Amino acid sequence: MKRNLLWRGLLILASVLAAIGAAYPPQQKINLGLDLRGGMHLVLQVHTEDALRAETDGDMARLVQQVKEDSQGKLEIKSQRTGDTRFTVSGLTPDAKITVLDAAKRALSRFNHGEQSDSITFDMLPGDVSKLRDQSVNQAVQTIRNRIDAYGVAEPVIQAAGGERIVVQLPGVDDFERVRKLIKNTAFLEFRITVYPKDGAHPVSREEILQHFGGKVPDDVEVLPAQRGERDAGAPGPLFYAVERRRTVTGRDLRNARPELGNMNQPIVGFSLTPDGAKSFSTLTGEHVGSGLAIVLDGQIVSAPRINSRISDSGIIEGSFTQKEVEDLSTVLRSGALPASITYLQEITVGPSLGRDSINEGLRAGLVGSALVVLVMLLYYRLSGVNAITALVLNVLLLFGGMGLFHSTLTLPGIAGVILTIGMAVDANVLVFERIREELRAGLTVRKAIDNGFERAFTSIIDTHMTTLISAMFLFQFGTGPIKGFAVTLVIGLLASLYTSVFVSRWIFDLVLSRRKVATLSI
Amino acid sequence: MRLLGDTDIDFMKYRKFWISISLVLIAVFFFAVFFIHFNLGIDFAGGTQLTLRFRDKPQVDQLRSLLAAAGLGDAEIQRFDKETANQIIVKTAVTKGSEEGSRERVVGALNRHFNQGQAGKLDLNTAGADDMVQLLGGTVSPALAAPAAAGPAASPQAAIADALIKERRKEGLFRDWDAVARTPGLDKAALETLRDRAFLGEYAVLGVENVGPQIGKELRRQGFWAVTLSLIGMLIYIGLRFELRFGIGAVMASIHDVLVTLGLFIVMRFEFNLTTIAAFLTLIGYSTNDTVVIFDRVRENMRKNRRKPLIEVMNESINQTLSRTIMTGGLTMLTVAALLALGGDVLRGFAFVMTVGIIVGTYSSVYVASPFALLWEQMFGTRSRIRGESGNQPAGARSGAGAAAGRSVPAGGSGKTAAASPRPQAKPAGAEPASGSTPRPPRAAAGRRRSGRR
Repeated sequence: MKRNLLWRGLLILASVLAAIGAAYPPQQKINLGLDLRGGMHLVLQVHTEDALRAETDGDMARLVQQVKEDSQGKLEIKSQRTGDTRFTVSGLTPDAKITVLDAAKRALSRFNHGEQSDSITFDMLPGDVSKLRDQSVNQAVQTIRNRIDAYGVAEPVIQAAGGERIVVQLPGVDDFERVRKLIKNTAFLEFRITVYPKDGAHPVSREEILQHFGGKVPDDVEVLPAQRGERDAGAPGPLFYAVERRRTVTGRDLRNARPELGNMNQPIVGFSLTPDGAKSFSTLTGEHVGSGLAIVLDGQIVSAPRINSRISDSGIIEGSFTQKEVEDLSTVLRSGALPASITYLQEITVGPSLGRDSINEGLRAGLVGSALVVLVMLLYYRLSGVNAITALVLNVLLLFGGMGLFHSTLTLPGIAGVILTIGMAVDANVLVFERIREELRAGLTVRKAIDNGFERAFTSIIDTHMTTLISAMFLFQFGTGPIKGFAVTLVIGLLASLYTSVFVSRWIFDLVLSRRKVATLSI
Repeated sequence: MRLLGDTDIDFMKYRKFWISISLVLIAVFFFAVFFIHFNLGIDFAGGTQLTLRFRDKPQVDQLRSLLAAAGLGDAEIQRFDKETANQIIVKTAVTKGSEEGSRERVVGALNRHFNQGQAGKLDLNTAGADDMVQLLGGTVSPALAAPAAAGPAASPQAAIADALIKERRKEGLFRDWDAVARTPGLDKAALETLRDRAFLGEYAVLGVENVGPQIGKELRRQGFWAVTLSLIGMLIYIGLRFELRFGIGAVMASIHDVLVTLGLFIVMRFEFNLTTIAAFLTLIGYSTNDTVVIFDRVRENMRKNRRKPLIEVMNESINQTLSRTIMTGGLTMLTVAALLALGGDVLRGFAFVMTVGIIVGTYSSVYVASPFALLWEQMFGTRSRIRGESGNQPAGARSGAGAAAGRSVPAGGSGKTAAASPRPQAKPAGAEPASGSTPRPPRAAAGRRRSGRR
């Protein structure tokens, strides 16, 4: 008996030490959730169709170029993108068809084609489509990571979350507005040729554009909103440019970008292009000298300077930027432009002061609640109450030890879980104590009453723990961050309470009984 | 100390009265669902929620008209937290066709009103560290030519900016320049620069939560599955552990607890969100476990004395476990009530569900679970399913008449007359070894109560 007691005591001691080891120091071992420490939680959607369209446009341009080369410039085909991953070459004579298909064999590797009477439709192969989608999501993850690293956030989480989604978690950020822009604003850079006003001098109203085209904008032209410059201050309403739908050079072709100062000492961004990008850019600008070059950022035209001469591998982006905007824009362009635009599907931003308030309130509620429980247990069960409270303290210790061990995160609902655990942990003690009292009233000896009490209450204790565990498991499965935190604390707390209320509390009784002959029990 | 002596209360005697109280409370639930509706949280309804703190006491009416002017007339505006916190929550519904919500519109509308005429100056209540460094004349810009990984606090300006941000965190925003001046390490010159080139915005955004329609839909689906599957899980567990009639009783009690609590929850206009779902699932677990303890005892007592009619066994078991029931419910309630009173606004809904739920759950394990088990027994019951019954007990004077009576009821009871003796069992006795035929009055009475059904 004695020996048995010793071993059990050592086991309990070991579990206490292990728990302390796993949870101390708590500032390092227990992760606080974003809702407590403050920070941002973002769910982003990558519009991979942007990347697909860009790829399709690029391939289409390549085909047109190839046809032109093959026919020594005699054949100028009319092509148009008719879907995210599809384009059509139309108005073809039978001879021209053969030339185009021949050129396609060399220029296009990932397209199927279907022939109609005077046109050919090219479709991207499904395998390539999904590969491109995956690629652009991964690239977006990498890009955002680069940006966040450049900004400097401790322990950021940036990961693909299935489909086209990315989850970003940034603890302890203080300038939310800036981070929000840093991640997103940057997104998609492209260069387009302006159609109206032709030289890109100044943006105009939508009505004026419609009037120019006689009511209907042609299929290969797109109307995009323009950022207001200082010159446009007098113009009423939102302003637009009509630009070519086709995009040949995008942010992906960028090699570097840096903040610079323009002629008027205004902040601008200077950029240089990759060799491939430079080739396309040079063709594009060479063909459109005199037109405006619309610099489109996230679907908005930041400026549309006139192309004075062929530009090959470098240029500048002008717009009404502040110094900080130019810096951030360079950062994001340099860290890799995003392959596609991004939408925030979900955003949770918690300022650090909100989180701290929550911790303080939770702590106060927990302390008051525990104090009440301790008081009632002592009043009602006297010395046995001390036993239960010892078990309870151990329970909380094990709970935090378990959290440290599993690297789980303490969230605000998690704090509620801890408080609830304190309330429910003593339930098991109450079950046992009430049973012991009953057995004592039935005239059993102290020793026997305790044995019976633990034995008979055991089924109930298991049942009560199981029912709550079932709920907690499904909460863990389906819950989001903070709720998962609640489920985890509840599960660990319940398991710990099973151990403390059955094993530890029993050991304390046995320990006391082994010392002396006890005729009455303080319960 | 003992709260209760050996009680001998005939709980089941008053069950009709208490069940009608429950029915009234359930009617409240249906009334609430149909006429008051859920106050759905952002996570389920989608939309945008901003937590704002103002320097001065905010006027809700003024804010409302401000937002209405910006086309956000449907925005909900409410005070949050303590009166002195000057805190406001603005909730706007999902913007059609947009995933990104109306944060910018809200902030824009507020800025136009509160911070007008401050163009070109830096708002110290929203500015980030980099802006402050720049304002104080530090050098950030050229550093960006090299990748911006230089690290913080490289210059005295950066140290001041860090200190300012730390100081601002204490309150969430600077209420006045005195608060700014309290920043440790801020010298007179820097303070003058700040006063000159920065201003204190009237408010700061402490938190934003935006849930687009897509995510909102998913969260609703997840919430639905969490609830459904844990109910099924609970059913399976109870089914494995208990006989059917007890299982039915326990499940009815859980449903009862959820409906009653939810009804009051809606009436009180608490916000229904993911945390609330967590609270309700925990409540289901808790209320079931309360019931389970009583049923465990019922099962035990039935084994001890198989001749006793269920209604008496139940009364006996409830009395035996009464102080336990009150103690466990009371102790857990102490902790969640502390949470309700002191835990802050975010957890208030959770704490409310748990506090009310525990009270209702404690009551329902006595007055819903047990009567339903009894009802089931009266309608379809056989006592032959008591586990561990092997027929090794002699058929005593108090023979299995009750069981016979219980079994006989579905076959029609005893008609409309008040005849005390039910019909012979409609089903074969089966494994029931001691099925006597002498009816015992309480059982027969119980059987009779159900009689007019046919």
